[in-house]
Amino acid sequence: MRDASHGVNTRLGMGLCCATLLLLLPALLPAPCLAADVTLSSQTYLLYYEREVTGGSDKEYAPLYEYISGDVSNLGGNPLSFHFYGWGRVDLGDDTDDDGTGGDLASAYLQYIHPTGNGEMRLGRFFLTEGVAAEILDGIFLKGRTPSGFGLSVFGGVPVERSITSTDEGDSIYGGRLFFARSGFAEIGVSYLKEDGDFQGDDREMVGGDIWLKPGIPVELSGRADYNVSTSSLARQRYVLRLMPSSRLDIAVGYEDYTYADLFQNTLNSAFSSPAIDNTDEVQILFVDLDFLIAEGLTVEAGVKSIQHDRSNPGDATRAELGLRYAYNDRKDMAGLSAAFVSADQDANEYQEFRAFATYSPGPWRFSLDALTHQYEKVISGIDDAYQVVGSAGWQALPYLKASWDVTYTRSPRFSEDYSGLVRVSLDISAAMGGN
Amino acid sequence: MMRRKTFGLVVGAIALSLALGCSVLSDTESVPPKHPEELPAGRADCLECHDDISTGALKPYASFRHSIVFIKQHSMYASQGQNLCASCHGASFCQTCHARKEELKPNTKMGDRPDRVLPHRGDYVVLHQIDGRLDPGSCFRCHGNKDDSRCRACHR
Repeated sequence: MRDASHGVNTRLGMGLCCATLLLLLPALLPAPCLAADVTLSSQTYLLYYEREVTGGSDKEYAPLYEYISGDVSNLGGNPLSFHFYGWGRVDLGDDTDDDGTGGDLASAYLQYIHPTGNGEMRLGRFFLTEGVAAEILDGIFLKGRTPSGFGLSVFGGVPVERSITSTDEGDSIYGGRLFFARSGFAEIGVSYLKEDGDFQGDDREMVGGDIWLKPGIPVELSGRADYNVSTSSLARQRYVLRLMPSSRLDIAVGYEDYTYADLFQNTLNSAFSSPAIDNTDEVQILFVDLDFLIAEGLTVEAGVKSIQHDRSNPGDATRAELGLRYAYNDRKDMAGLSAAFVSADQDANEYQEFRAFATYSPGPWRFSLDALTHQYEKVISGIDDAYQVVGSAGWQALPYLKASWDVTYTRSPRFSEDYSGLVRVSLDISAAMGGN
Repeated sequence: MMRRKTFGLVVGAIALSLALGCSVLSDTESVPPKHPEELPAGRADCLECHDDISTGALKPYASFRHSIVFIKQHSMYASQGQNLCASCHGASFCQTCHARKEELKPNTKMGDRPDRVLPHRGDYVVLHQIDGRLDPGSCFRCHGNKDDSRCRACHR
C-alpha cells in the first residue's frame, strides 16, 4: 500500500467516493425529504512565519488553511442527520511540504438517533469513543439500550490511520461494548476491539472494562482497564474518585498505571517504540485535582501529579500546579493566572511554568493577551528559559461573520526571536430548510 | 481467510441488530441530537438549568459541569457515550484536537481563546522532550496510534 501522503491509493479513493456520496445525499433525497436544519461553519486561517533552513537562509511560509464543518439535522423531519468536517491547505509562500498542499477529510457520516433508548446508528467516516476504542473509521456503528438496562454497541469498518504499512489488503477494525446502566447510579461495560494490521508484528487486540458508580452521595467512582490480548497483559488502568460536596467544589483523587511494552505495542508512531523508548519501563501515577468556585466568577484550580517510573532513567517526578480564573463581562471574558512546578529525580526533567492571560470584549470587538514562560532547571541548547506572548484582536462584523488577527512572539531554545502572524475568518451559518 | 470470517461475523451481528430493530430499545428518552436552546457564551454550566439526571446519558448533569476536574477526566465519560457531548458541542468538536491528521495545534487555531483549556501552549516542541520522558502514556492517547510524519523528522 502506498503512503496516503504520496499519490492516491485504493482505500483513499474509496473513502473519498463514499464521502462524496454522503455529502450529496441530502441533494439526492426526494422533495418531501428536503426539510432539514442546516448549520455550516467555515474557519479560514492564514499564517505567516519565517524559518531558517539548512544552509542559513530564511524561508517565508504563508500556509492558508480552510476548515469546513457542517451538520444537516432533522432530515425530512426524521431523527436523521449528516455531519462532515475536513480541512485543506494551500501554501501561498514557500512550500511547507513537497507539493505545497495538504488536507484531510476528518469525518463525513450519516447518523440516526432513535428517540428512545439512546438507539443510534452511524454510517460513514466518524470519530468513535466506545469503551476501549477511540478510533476514526470508515464503517458503521450501532448502539442501543434495552428496558432492563443492558445495552450493546457494535462497530466495524476500515481504520482511518495515516498509514499502516506492510499490509497489502483487508485491514479492518471491529469490536463492541456490552454494558449495563442504571439511571443515576451505575454504568458498567466490557468492550472489545480488534484491528488487523502490522503493529510491531501483531494485530491490535484489546479488551477493556469501564465503570461509573455513584452510590447515592456526591461521590463518583470511575475507572477503566485495558487488557492487551496481543501481549497477554494489562496495558493500562485508571481509577478516579470524584467528590462533589457542593456545586462550587469538585475534587478528584486518582491512580493510573501502564506498562510501556503493553500500552505501546500497538503504536504506529516511532516515538513510542524501542529504541526511542525503554520498553521495559512501567509508570505509576497518583493525582489530585481541585476546582473551587470561591466567589461569583472566581475559581481556584489546583492539582498535584506524582509520576513514578520503574526505571531510574527517566526517574520520578512530581508536578504541582495552581491557577486562578476570573470570569467577567457577563462571562464573555476571562482572566487567569497560573503556575506549575515540576520537580524530578533528574535535573533535565525539572521546569517551572508561569502563565497569565486576559480577554476584553467591548461591543463587537474582542482583544486577548496570553503570556507563558518556562524556566528549565537544565539548559536546553544553551538556553534555560522560554517565552511566548500571543496578542489577538477580533471583530464581529456580522452575527455570522468574525475576523481576528493574532501576533505571536516566541523566544525559546528553538527560536532566538520569532514573530508569527495569523489572520482568522469565521463564518457560521444556520438555516432551517422547508420542504413539503 | 480468518479475517474474512471474523469480519463476516461482525456484519452478521450488525444485520441481526438491524433485524431486531428498535423494538427492543428502552423507552427512556434519548439525548437530543442538538441542545434545544441556544447556550450562553463562556464555559458551560449544566446546573444553571438542570438539576436532575440526563435521561440519555443516565448520569447527573452535575457530573458534566465543565470544571477543570471534568475536563481532565472527560475521556472517562466519553468512553461510555458521546451523545451528550455532541448535543451541545456539535459532531466535529472532538476532532478539533482528536484528529488523525492535523497540522495546526489547537492553541494556534484558537489563539484568540486563551480561556480555553488547550494542550501544547508555548513552544511545545521543546517541552515535549520533558513531558514525553516523564509521562509518555499521556501523549500516546492522541499521538500513539498514528503514523505522524512530523514525529518521524526526529523519531526515526
